[in-house]
Amino acid sequence: MFKYLNHLVISKFVMAFSGAYLLLFITGHLIGNLQLFMGREPFNAYANFLQSIGEVLWAERIVLIIAAILHIITSIYLKLHNYKLRGEKYAVRKYVKAGLNSRTMIWTGLMILAFVIFHLLHFTFGVIDSKNYNYQELYTKNAYAISFAGDIEQANQQSMSMEALNPEPIVYERHDVYKMVIMDFRNPWVSLFYMIAVALLGVHISHSLQSAFQTLGISGPRFTRFIRPASIVYGFFIGGGFLIIPLSVLLGLIGGNI
Amino acid sequence: MKVKLHVWRQKDKSTPGHLVDYDVDGIEPDMSFLEMLDILNESLILKGEDPVAFEYDCREGICGCCSLTVNGIPHGHQKGTTICQLFMRKFSDGEDITIEPFRAKSFPVIRDLIVDRSAFDRIIQAGGFITVGTGMAQDANSILIPKKIADLAMDAAQCIGCGACVAACPNSSAMLFLSAKSSQLNLLPQGKPEKLKRARAMIAQMEKEGFGSCSNHYECEAVCPKEISVQFIAKFNRDYLAASIKEGA
Repeated sequence: MFKYLNHLVISKFVMAFSGAYLLLFITGHLIGNLQLFMGREPFNAYANFLQSIGEVLWAERIVLIIAAILHIITSIYLKLHNYKLRGEKYAVRKYVKAGLNSRTMIWTGLMILAFVIFHLLHFTFGVIDSKNYNYQELYTKNAYAISFAGDIEQANQQSMSMEALNPEPIVYERHDVYKMVIMDFRNPWVSLFYMIAVALLGVHISHSLQSAFQTLGISGPRFTRFIRPASIVYGFFIGGGFLIIPLSVLLGLIGGNI
Repeated sequence: MKVKLHVWRQKDKSTPGHLVDYDVDGIEPDMSFLEMLDILNESLILKGEDPVAFEYDCREGICGCCSLTVNGIPHGHQKGTTICQLFMRKFSDGEDITIEPFRAKSFPVIRDLIVDRSAFDRIIQAGGFITVGTGMAQDANSILIPKKIADLAMDAAQCIGCGACVAACPNSSAMLFLSAKSSQLNLLPQGKPEKLKRARAMIAQMEKEGFGSCSNHYECEAVCPKEISVQFIAKFNRDYLAASIKEGA
């Protein structure tokens, strides 16, 4: 299956295609996450919606996992391969055009991989800090009725921890993702870790967007003038977009009612 | 003018090299960098020492023989020039200058600052040619080529095959050289018959010679004395993709 690694240009195509898919996913993930600013109800409804489309979600996840594995294996292989082919190191070395972002792709990439593993254990599997992970929104009969009456914010006031006993019968419950995120990001260490990781992601993307187009042969005098700065702007957009979420929680701009 | 040189000295392929310090005095600002090395070598010969071996031919910036990395940049800090066309007035009096050979595993050092770049010749042999009919020369202008295409092919054909792109690349990739040499032919009708075969044959030879892959650092474009654009690499990738689809991977 990994025979393509013997061909340098095909390996680069694999990097570009898998990277492009990961980039699409990241963009969707960011847009989804930014709904946190719209409040608890829309955010939890969005999370619930994702869970409800089981098969589609799993199909997307399988493609994502394959893309991630190809991206990681190919990049590590190419890095080691290229490293072997370097001559003796220059005593003095000056880079004219290669920025820090392009020269540190493998390192930012590996740090992002470490972060993704933590992030999955944290928010997807709930292994780390399971207390916050297990929050459920509990809707009592009355709250449910109210929510149907149209006042959704009112209905959500009934939310509480799983351990808490609700005197009224529960008619509807769903994972309180909003509360989980808010409670976790109130820990400054967790927030700081996330902010550093997404900043690195931004640096990684600032090189990768234009690099993918170049590798796939989509290039031209006008397009190149546009895509290179656009790639840096996109890196800022993704890194900054993810970064403002823990920052806003820390500053108390969102989640104040929890 | 006076400069303090740190020059890479290496006896042969198998002996490890090292930097040696030399003070060079009496340099005119209008001397070229290679003339400054000539002055150093004259003084070394008079002292009975081995002169520094470096490669040159035309000293006009068109042959692609000179191959020095000066202060960490192949062909020195002046954009769009070979090192033979870099003049000493571009350095300050008393400046420290480190001179090293072009470094890549596929460019082994033969002696001091001379490297073996015959790998480039073998890449050209693999695909950098066209089929030419024998017999009478055909009428000029019988094959019409739009001006824009002819200009682009000429831009690619500017490559002098010096190897600075490889020396500057953190991956020691020869993609800029390869793409220039294949694009100058692929763009023109005369190069069409071998177009698909060319991209794949040249890449296969490049892999065999032990050059790395392109990571789009664009360092090659920055140091190229002929300022060849990395857009030729994108074009090469397109040709390669088309060849792989049409002929199977």
